[in-house]
Amino acid sequence: MTATALTPAARKGVFDGPLSGVLGILGFLATWEVVCRTGLIDDRYIPPASTVLVTAIEYFGNPVFWAALGRTLSGWALGLLIAAGAAITVGILIGSSDFLRKATHSTIEFLRPIPSVALIPLAVLVFGTSLNSTLLLVIYASFWQILIQVLYGVGDVDPVADDTARSYRLGLVARVRYLVWPTALPYVMTGLRLGAAVALILAITAELVIGGGGLGELISLAKSGGAIDKLYALILITGLVGVVVNLGMRAIERKTLHWHISVRGETAV
Amino acid sequence: MRRSTRTLAVLAVSALVLAACGGGSETETTASGETKLTVGVIPIVDTAPIWLGKEKGFFKDEGIDLELTKTTGGAAAVPGVINGEFDFAFGNIVSLMVAQDQGLPLEFVTNGTTTAGESGKDFSGVVVNADSDIKSPADLAGETVSVNNLKNIGDTTIRHVVEADGGDPSKIKFAEVPFPDAPAALENGDVDAAWILEPFLSTAIANGARVVSWNYVETSPELDIAGYFTKTDTVKNKADLVKKFQTAMNKSLEYAQEHPDEVRDIVGTYTEIDEKTRAAMVLPKFTSEFSQPAVQLLGEAAVKFGTLEKQPDLDKLLP
Repeated sequence: MTATALTPAARKGVFDGPLSGVLGILGFLATWEVVCRTGLIDDRYIPPASTVLVTAIEYFGNPVFWAALGRTLSGWALGLLIAAGAAITVGILIGSSDFLRKATHSTIEFLRPIPSVALIPLAVLVFGTSLNSTLLLVIYASFWQILIQVLYGVGDVDPVADDTARSYRLGLVARVRYLVWPTALPYVMTGLRLGAAVALILAITAELVIGGGGLGELISLAKSGGAIDKLYALILITGLVGVVVNLGMRAIERKTLHWHISVRGETAV
Repeated sequence: MRRSTRTLAVLAVSALVLAACGGGSETETTASGETKLTVGVIPIVDTAPIWLGKEKGFFKDEGIDLELTKTTGGAAAVPGVINGEFDFAFGNIVSLMVAQDQGLPLEFVTNGTTTAGESGKDFSGVVVNADSDIKSPADLAGETVSVNNLKNIGDTTIRHVVEADGGDPSKIKFAEVPFPDAPAALENGDVDAAWILEPFLSTAIANGARVVSWNYVETSPELDIAGYFTKTDTVKNKADLVKKFQTAMNKSLEYAQEHPDEVRDIVGTYTEIDEKTRAAMVLPKFTSEFSQPAVQLLGEAAVKFGTLEKQPDLDKLLP
């Protein structure tokens, strides 16, 4: 790309590319540093960015940190997988039947807004500090996110295509496989991406509040030990994990939907 | 298309994994003939003896394979013991009195921590900013005081101390603020006084905060704060196991009391408290004996100030 070629695409490259993202992060870190260094905020309560960054980097050489990250991510992945499996199965079942859709609508709308964190006392009572507690919260939170998307996806099936499939006497399994699933897949992927973010939040919240290991417990330990720089370093790292998870989910989405107009539209000029 | 079908299949099968979830632990015996015990502990200075005792092999000597699980406080410890995840857990005396008040069959098997017993040198205190008008415990009446939990050992002892000093305990406004956040809340003026424990207490004093009440010592210089508890069921049916745990735990408490330097070192292994703070902080007293009169006094104060409905039954509560 040359400097003179100021086509819309080129301008887009300069202002919306990774460069501006990096600039944004640098600006944020610089503001943080200045606010602490000038004494606007007491650095006993929020240490400057440079201190926190060094502490964060030190964590990457610490096996305890990797074990904690492993636990958090296994809770996240397992929870998301179970939620996705259940939500897709239930979603296709409910979505394929007008009766079920109407019968379950109010129940879903009632259960969906219950915040997963409200289930923490229940989780502790039933599962204690084990991984199952984390799973319960993660699954509950991400299940609804994905289910709603699957329902929309299944509802989006072209009635003409559906009638055609029926007149060709495609059975239920064939219709799900060749018609419902491809139609719903973009919605499923959106649901998965939303669910993945929520699942990560809940995995860390569960560890923070209930304990039992993981990044959340490290944060809680740093807090109760008064290790403020470690506390902020861990918070920064959880943000980083969130970014990586989102990038990963987007990559999966692009790969799975390579045939879909939304993805092809992005790559074609 | 084939790929997406496979994805569906994988996801659907994973739903079945849900069935694999289950829980609940019973006492197991390891290959070497040791009894496996899981104990829920809060990762704070107060639990140093059990970590130290484990390291020193006091539990192994009794044939116990000890596993320590960190909990975030009584909120997870009590249900953990009730549902069998923990064989024993660490909890403060008022929490257990409240549990007993609500009919939960729990009781202490050993002591855990006791006030250091000396005004001016304890691990718990109510602090104010250096320029505050609050000069004595009685002055706390009418002010906002932060405690980590309402209706627990903090507000109960503070009310008791304020009343003993001639103040009106019903006029204190308590606000729930976690210990780590309390010094900042005090400096910002969100609260007029803050109840904090070590390691935050010595740091706050070093930063200029002034202690108006050593609420534990001033309640009683013998006051026991917390201990290790289990289900009444376990005490009755596994008397032998409980005896072994008590022997090892009491040995750990006495060892910790005699070796404060080792306590400061071991605290560094399970908390994030830095070395400088560990060297400066005031340690609690570790003793195997509960002080019956002090616990009685605490129970009476808890009833008087509405933390408990009825006088706790110490014969059932204490070992």
